[in-house]
Amino acid sequence: MNTITAPAIEYLQLAPLLIVFGAGILGVLVEAFAPRYLRRAMHIPLTLLSLAGAFALVIVQTIKGVPTKPSAMGAVAVDGPTLFIWGTILVLAFISLLLLNDEDHFVPAASAVPGSAEEERALIEGNVHTEVYPLALFAIGGMLLFPASNDLLIMFVALEVMSLPLYLLCGLARRRRLLSQESAMKYFLLGAFSSAFFLYGTALLYGYAGSVDLAKISTALSANVGQDALLFTGAALLGVGLLFKIGAAPFQAWKPDVYQGAPTPVTALMASGTLVAAFGALLRVFWVAIGELDWDWSPIMWGVAILTMVVGAILAITQTDIKRMLAYSSIAHAGFLLVGVVAIGDAKQNATALAAILFYLAVYGIASIGAFAIVTMVRDAGGEAWHLSRWAGLGKRSPKLAGLFAFFLLAFAGIPLTSGFFGKYAVFQAAVAGGAVQLVVVGVVASAVAAFFYVRVIVLMFFNDPAPDGPTVVLPSWGTASVVGFAALATVVLGVFPQPVLDLAQSAAGSLFVR
Amino acid sequence: MHVVYPAVVAALLFSIGVYGVLARRNTILVLMSVELMLNAVNLNLVTFDVWLRDQLHGGQVLTLFVIVIAAAEVGIGLAIVLAVFRNRQSIDLDRLRDLFEPPNSSDPDGSQPAATKVTTGVGPE
Amino acid sequence: MTPALWPPTAQEIVFLLLSVVAVGSALLVVTTRQLVHAALWLVACFGALAGCYLVLTAEFVAWVQVLIYVGAVVVLMLFGIMLTRAPIGRTADLDSGNRVVAALVALATAAVLVTVVIDGFRSAYTPLDPGTGSAKSLGGSIFRTWVLPFEALSILLLAALIGAIVISRTDIKGRE
Repeated sequence: MNTITAPAIEYLQLAPLLIVFGAGILGVLVEAFAPRYLRRAMHIPLTLLSLAGAFALVIVQTIKGVPTKPSAMGAVAVDGPTLFIWGTILVLAFISLLLLNDEDHFVPAASAVPGSAEEERALIEGNVHTEVYPLALFAIGGMLLFPASNDLLIMFVALEVMSLPLYLLCGLARRRRLLSQESAMKYFLLGAFSSAFFLYGTALLYGYAGSVDLAKISTALSANVGQDALLFTGAALLGVGLLFKIGAAPFQAWKPDVYQGAPTPVTALMASGTLVAAFGALLRVFWVAIGELDWDWSPIMWGVAILTMVVGAILAITQTDIKRMLAYSSIAHAGFLLVGVVAIGDAKQNATALAAILFYLAVYGIASIGAFAIVTMVRDAGGEAWHLSRWAGLGKRSPKLAGLFAFFLLAFAGIPLTSGFFGKYAVFQAAVAGGAVQLVVVGVVASAVAAFFYVRVIVLMFFNDPAPDGPTVVLPSWGTASVVGFAALATVVLGVFPQPVLDLAQSAAGSLFVR
Repeated sequence: MHVVYPAVVAALLFSIGVYGVLARRNTILVLMSVELMLNAVNLNLVTFDVWLRDQLHGGQVLTLFVIVIAAAEVGIGLAIVLAVFRNRQSIDLDRLRDLFEPPNSSDPDGSQPAATKVTTGVGPE
Repeated sequence: MTPALWPPTAQEIVFLLLSVVAVGSALLVVTTRQLVHAALWLVACFGALAGCYLVLTAEFVAWVQVLIYVGAVVVLMLFGIMLTRAPIGRTADLDSGNRVVAALVALATAAVLVTVVIDGFRSAYTPLDPGTGSAKSLGGSIFRTWVLPFEALSILLLAALIGAIVISRTDIKGRE
């Protein structure tokens, strides 16, 4: 073999991915060559336009017809579910970045000790770390690649591309720096630990099937009978790595810590984008590679789903920090989504369940960015008013904001006329059709428990008296205001007319994952 | 070469790494233990690649990628560790306790310090 | 036809000796009371593993292991130890309180994994022909089959580079 034949890359299919990565690289060049005072002005249009462009390309691809086989030498599968997930992630990323734009979330000089003269100076000089834009773009690119991966090798690379920039972004909060850095450290160490498990699982499955390709692993299931221990251990270790990223119990310990410590816009990006991406990847591994084995992994996934819902709903009650509470709510929602993952069956059942999960991911992501956007607006002297007691009486002081927050919480609880209701309804309906009735009962009970603490916050905001030195509500920048507006609008509209998006999810899911 | 020899060695190395991650409290030592786990994976991958006579060299290519990613990870990790050290003068995981459950919570987890929860949270099932 | 597991061939004896070194030094990495020694035992472990790769005919991987792991990663670790002003010499508090739990978890992991791989690869045998793991054949497959992950990896390295600069650079000036 003296000459290498060039690999076949379907550039058009990969275009959304390439645009996001390309914009990230351009962002790095801006950092390197543009004068400091121009950088923000260049980053904002570059970042937002690239995300919008990528979204437009996803739509073009959808209209042109969904590819039926993997692209880029079998590395990436741009199929119906991938396109829907890409669209969702790009929308979520776009609004998270509008939130990220606000000047004062990030530290002026990351290396300076908090409270030092150096930091003071950086603050006075109006220093900002504009590097967060390319870093966020790299993370978003990783999020796009992760659920589209068609083999375990690129899935691991995508996992790391997604995670490494996020580890760093977590440590850059302007206020409560020590917490922020601590969260970055914990996220990093646990992330590295869990990716070692993911890799060991990959290695065992490679030894079992002779390939890292998901479809080939699936065909090997029927060929290599008698090596089940190897297969199960490999799949279990792989599952640990993926469930960790989702924050499913018992691997949820990082989520409250990291969500609390990270800058709130980054938390919003993680709570929406990372969750969507990780669910896409989880579905691909469990439904494509070891879908034939559902009889064996379903009971374990049942247990994980129940534990996740219960842990998320019950521990949320004891929280006093608003971001921690939202983190536990995110854990509970991961549990509800896992109910849909268990509802695997024949092709028709799979399409229903998949459509339900896709719809749920989209509506939950939007509502949670909206909720975190409101968290950024309620401020104390030292930054965001994180303690729940500080939120008492907010409804009397600024009824509009408290009303919107209450509305997002009701959407999390799944009250009718909010998008959350249809999300939950679709997932639970698919699970009932898939025969997981007991699981749905647990899900409904967990939703009721979760609704209790959402209502508790609403009562706190509207029926308690405000403290005399209570937090102030800052006038939102256009970015934050439009994020809250968009999220609220989407939550209402999808709560009243969910059908268009449900149809879209159904047609995306109809083709299932390509193999 | 019997495949079982390297496979067993890799399993042992991985377990040693797991022990290190759970038992150490100096962050740099935890990082070293994670590297041991990654090396165990690499040994597995190389062995399977050679054994399967993989024409695409999936195993060895993934090994190369893991090595590169590990180097990037260590770079990032040490940057974070140094940032924490500058602010706290300590990189003991047990002292990173600012983020944890409120002490008055009724859950059994809340009474433990965050660091132990952190390290046992992702243990193998 | 699969030869018997015992007696081992010459290659296997070399491999086993190297792996004893690797496992032994790995144990010392996680138990030693001196931080710097842990880093040095890590070098021994990675070096022995590079030897294992050579025995397994994976030449290119072996040299990359030496260059990146032994050459770069461990040096970074040593810098980390130095910059965090870790005490040189014996330190009592390198371990956290849950050593027993950790040992139990690790033993359980080892038991499960060793049983699984022995069960899975009991009869697997491969003759070793040199040359299959050369840079040429690996390069051929990287730049053909695995080209997209390779490019994604270059993005990852760029992101890591920028990130590390962001979090540790101290000479950032305000307006230029």
